[in-house]
Amino acid sequence: MLSMKNISKVYQTEKVQTHALRDFTLEVSEGEFIAVTGPSGSGKTTFLNIAGMLESFTSGDFILDGVNVGQLNDNQRADLRNQKIGFIFQGFNLIPDLNLFENVEVPLRYRGIKSAERKRRIMECLEQVGLASRAKHLPQQLSGGQQQRVAIARALAGEPRFLLADEPTGNLDSLMARQVMELLEEINRNGSTIVMVTHDPELARRAPRNIQVVDGQIADFTLYQHGGASVPRKSNTVAAVNPMSVEV
Amino acid sequence: MFWHYIDLSWRSFKRTPMVTVLMVLAIAAGIGITMTSLSVYHMMAMDPMPHKSSQLFHPQLNARDDGDDWWTEDNLPHQMTYKDAMNLYRADIPRLKAPSMRTGFSVNLNSPDVKPFIESVRMTSRSFFSMFEFSFIHGAPWSQGQEESAAMVTVISRSMSETLFGQSDSVGENVYFDDNVFQIVGVYEDFDYHVKFYDLTNGAFNRAENAMIPITLIPPLKAQTWGNTNGWKFEEINSYQDMLNSEQAWLQFWVQLDTTEEEKEYREFLTNYLIEQESLGRFEREEVHFALRNLTQWMTYNRVVTEDNRILVSASFMFLTVCLANILGLLLGKFLRRVPEVGVRRALGANKRQVFLQHLVEVGLLGFIGGIIGIGIAQLGLWGVRATYSYYSAIATMDISMLLAAPAIAIGACVIAGIYPAWLVCRTNPAICLKTQ
Repeated sequence: MLSMKNISKVYQTEKVQTHALRDFTLEVSEGEFIAVTGPSGSGKTTFLNIAGMLESFTSGDFILDGVNVGQLNDNQRADLRNQKIGFIFQGFNLIPDLNLFENVEVPLRYRGIKSAERKRRIMECLEQVGLASRAKHLPQQLSGGQQQRVAIARALAGEPRFLLADEPTGNLDSLMARQVMELLEEINRNGSTIVMVTHDPELARRAPRNIQVVDGQIADFTLYQHGGASVPRKSNTVAAVNPMSVEV
Repeated sequence: MFWHYIDLSWRSFKRTPMVTVLMVLAIAAGIGITMTSLSVYHMMAMDPMPHKSSQLFHPQLNARDDGDDWWTEDNLPHQMTYKDAMNLYRADIPRLKAPSMRTGFSVNLNSPDVKPFIESVRMTSRSFFSMFEFSFIHGAPWSQGQEESAAMVTVISRSMSETLFGQSDSVGENVYFDDNVFQIVGVYEDFDYHVKFYDLTNGAFNRAENAMIPITLIPPLKAQTWGNTNGWKFEEINSYQDMLNSEQAWLQFWVQLDTTEEEKEYREFLTNYLIEQESLGRFEREEVHFALRNLTQWMTYNRVVTEDNRILVSASFMFLTVCLANILGLLLGKFLRRVPEVGVRRALGANKRQVFLQHLVEVGLLGFIGGIIGIGIAQLGLWGVRATYSYYSAIATMDISMLLAAPAIAIGACVIAGIYPAWLVCRTNPAICLKTQ
């Protein structure tokens, strides 16, 4: 469903070449829930941005749902992103001028869905996250946890094949973080594929599959069964600790 | 999506009201000033009779010796001598021809009820009314017989009829022009053109005459012109008859030529006429020299639109450009602050084109609002022109085309100013936009 082979991402400035990802290879199957962990600056967000087609990659192959992403132009990537991917951000990223209904409506408008169908889907998604009664509220009238639930509803509204979550609980207290995590698990049980970047090892353990990214490469991955019990840990090819930046 | 973009634009305006007000005021001021000068220019330059202007011609004859110059660019007099005007008037071709001259009288009813007033009066032929499409609301022009017999008849405008008689229908009534009694045979609708194109020699924007009498009354009334008289040689003029026989040019002359064949025929006629006049010893020339300009050519030749007007329009557009430069700066600031939101929209599936269009619609709406307010400022400016210069009162106004042009120019100008900021925003990498959240 999502296949990355030897993906590299190099940021080039006049003096410094920074390898954000190197030979990054990953296969994600339909219905998986993957947690991506790793230290700051390890390349987790770059991986997520490339997976969400928000950023281009320097080399490698990236197939998303049968489409070779490397061959798409910017507009085609935007269309594919709109149809296949839902984003959940750490900072929620709700548009402050729009009420909850209108925020959830944004991806649907860009897809050109008719008004009646939009309304049905929006209310369904807000219902799912328990905020249907507050559809006319503005984001700033909600708590952080509620805002993140709206962001999840917005990500779900387009019925995407993938949900990409970047530290979805990073700005929440533990209670709200647990609620959001439970919501994501429920969404996953309903069939959505989720890739979640997190710093929180406890949250990561709740995902059936963990990937650890170090220095732009997959260092380890772990499979858990039923929320916590690990199965034998597989070692991936772990490169020696390489400096991320080299002088050029 | 268009109405959605309009909705987003409106929300954006409300989010930054001060910046919005500044931008609207800048575009409104630019449009107001531009439309004031452009409206005056437009009214000056407009073809007053677009359906007929190519059929109405103003002949100019060079009936004077070689070596004597007129002050015009092509050495041709603007007006005609009485004898040339009457010769051409009495010629067989064309069917419609109109010598004319502006004179004036004291108008009264020989009654204490109406205060006498001085009014300019045009002396012309009955063809004048059909050539320039005067619309008669009562009666009709004088007859051919009345014209030939120099009958004391007149046609007057609706406003003069109402001034004199309190009603528009005054056909059959008598009116005094100085001490002469004229019978009113027709009342025409007030001349509604902004340029008095049939007599540019007396000021293109002066008020049209409110009364007309037959041209054939010139000799019996010994009518004096209320316009310019130009001559090219010394002549002893001791009597009115001397004036009529002189080489002094003081009449205007128009012909209507409906086809190119008629025009060609009339050019041949004028050539032969001048050869004939030369053979009578009036002047000595090596070559026959005349011009036959149609209405729009005649307006251009007479510089109805002056160089000053063109400079004024250019200057006002420069002012608009300065306003746009300010708007561009404000838009840059406003749009770049919105980069994080654009990042979210891009992440949710908006492509660059949609982001670009959203921002262009916003600047377009800004231009529309500025344009509407600009029309108000332009109306104020035109009112100022009318109040200061009564000569321009007929043209210091906005017609429907200018009313429509104002918002169109404002929208166009704002869109041009907004292209760069909108392009800058839409090309930003969404991943970088999101990092700035």
